[in-house]
Amino acid sequence: MGSFLQYLSENSTQLIFYAQQHFLLVLYSVAIATTISMTLALLLHTNQLTPPSWRRSIRVGSQETSLLLASAALTIPSLALFGLLQPLLGLGVTPSIVALTLYAIYPVLRNTVAGLSSVDPAVLEAARGVGMGPVRRMVRVQLPLAWPVVLSGIRVAVLIVISIAVVAALINGPGFGKPLQDGLARLGAVNSFNEVIVGTLGCLVVAAGYEIIFFIAQRLTTPRGLRV
Amino acid sequence: MSEAVQSPTSTARPIVGRPMIALEGVSKTYPKQTRPAVAELNLEVPEGAIVMLIGPSGCGKTTTLKMMNRLIEPTTGRILLDGEDVTDVNADQLRRRIGYVIQQVGLFPHLTVADNVAVVPRMLGWNKNRINRRVDELLHLVGLEPADFRDRYPRQLSGGQQQRVGVARGLAADPSVMLMDEPFGAIDPITRERLQDEFLDVQRQIAKTICFVTHDLSEAVKLGDRIAVLATGGRLAQYDTPSEILAHPADDFVAEFVGGGAAVRRLSLLEISRLELEEVVISSDGTPAGSHPVLAVDGAGRPVAWHHVPGSAQPPPLVTVPLSGTVYDAVDVMLDARASAVVVVDDGGQPRGALRWDALVADLRIKEPSR
Repeated sequence: MGSFLQYLSENSTQLIFYAQQHFLLVLYSVAIATTISMTLALLLHTNQLTPPSWRRSIRVGSQETSLLLASAALTIPSLALFGLLQPLLGLGVTPSIVALTLYAIYPVLRNTVAGLSSVDPAVLEAARGVGMGPVRRMVRVQLPLAWPVVLSGIRVAVLIVISIAVVAALINGPGFGKPLQDGLARLGAVNSFNEVIVGTLGCLVVAAGYEIIFFIAQRLTTPRGLRV
Repeated sequence: MSEAVQSPTSTARPIVGRPMIALEGVSKTYPKQTRPAVAELNLEVPEGAIVMLIGPSGCGKTTTLKMMNRLIEPTTGRILLDGEDVTDVNADQLRRRIGYVIQQVGLFPHLTVADNVAVVPRMLGWNKNRINRRVDELLHLVGLEPADFRDRYPRQLSGGQQQRVGVARGLAADPSVMLMDEPFGAIDPITRERLQDEFLDVQRQIAKTICFVTHDLSEAVKLGDRIAVLATGGRLAQYDTPSEILAHPADDFVAEFVGGGAAVRRLSLLEISRLELEEVVISSDGTPAGSHPVLAVDGAGRPVAWHHVPGSAQPPPLVTVPLSGTVYDAVDVMLDARASAVVVVDDGGQPRGALRWDALVADLRIKEPSR
């Protein structure tokens, strides 16, 4: 125990750097995934936002297809995906973000679709009846009402990606994967076990950080009428 | 009681307005259906009138209503709003000029009561002061104290209060036309009565042209200046005043729809002030005075008891009904007190005459309309 604390204090600068890397890696990939998923879900949700030539069957078909593809992406073993992207995108940060983005799409897409569908049809009919156009209806009514569900999807994506992100170390990616894999590779050597523990606990610390952020974000962004 | 009896009937409030909404040969056939939901409908809604669309489920009454603000596009025919073809205007702009109230209310749960009411004025770009004044005015009108209710959220309101806000939202931009789709349908019977009475009160102040869908005949009779009875398949079976529809159904369908109890319902359309009342004699000592009923009064001239009612050995218990009431109210108090006669009193409590059960059943003498 004493040696672990000593390890922490001796490597504090390096560990804080890992934490920052890990945090940002998750932030970037989930942010990109959220943008992609929400754009897709919003466009495919109502035929008022897609071109008139897209009939309902095409719209619903593409929505189901994208959900299917996203869920398929989530089932690809992470070790394999990072390996498969390496010849295309090389090593380092870019392939790591791309891989993690692929994993984060499904939860956000799934929850956005579910959230938008959960809005009371009577409320949407009233919105149409008072003369709100399709964009206003989406931005002012449907999305705010779906938002708590969307936000919980983003939260799940973050938790998934935090743990998968350690695999990024395979392709020289950033974050707590580095000490974890170094430690595992030389298990039994000096400080190797400490490195494994640091890699694991580091992920927990990053997750705790995100949980605090989500707690605050939820308080701030959920419309008050939905909380009372 | 007194609200119920002020219900405007076509006879009490003649409608001579020009048509505000006109449907000309309007049909709607939904995709993949062979039978039209609404077939060749011609209907004129006069300005300032409440027209009730009534019929069994599936008769196309809601479809008809929704075609008026283009939530549903007609397959054929024209719909004119104040002389202007509704298909010539942008649908969203059109809807901002037409109030729309639905059964499920559909308040925006993430907005406060004030913001819900302010939705249309905001889209129309009113300034903040004008919106605030309008919101307060409307909340007053629908009986919700602005100080209490402005900042509440829909979830903190009862069903009746939510629908009041729904009506206020529909009225927000002062539209000349209101479309109401069973607005009181999901509300408990007692609150519904109250809302209907208040609705009539409000309508007396604002005089909108209102199209109102209902499946409740009593509601149609109570609120409507005209009733349009739609038959299955969207055929207009009869379009007339409530008393005409109750008294002279146009065909078997209407007769069946109106069903039993039409005679009783008609009583609620007949105002006591339009009847020839039986004269009463006021006496302090109770001497019988020929064939007229004799009434004892107090110092202020208000009736206290019957001395004598012709045809009954024992004088019946004294019951009164206001002159502003309807025959329905008179029957109601007589049945309730098991009295064979009722004294009609004016606002000051002074007796104006009597109404006897025998006369009621035999024949009612109606004064020549004095309009």
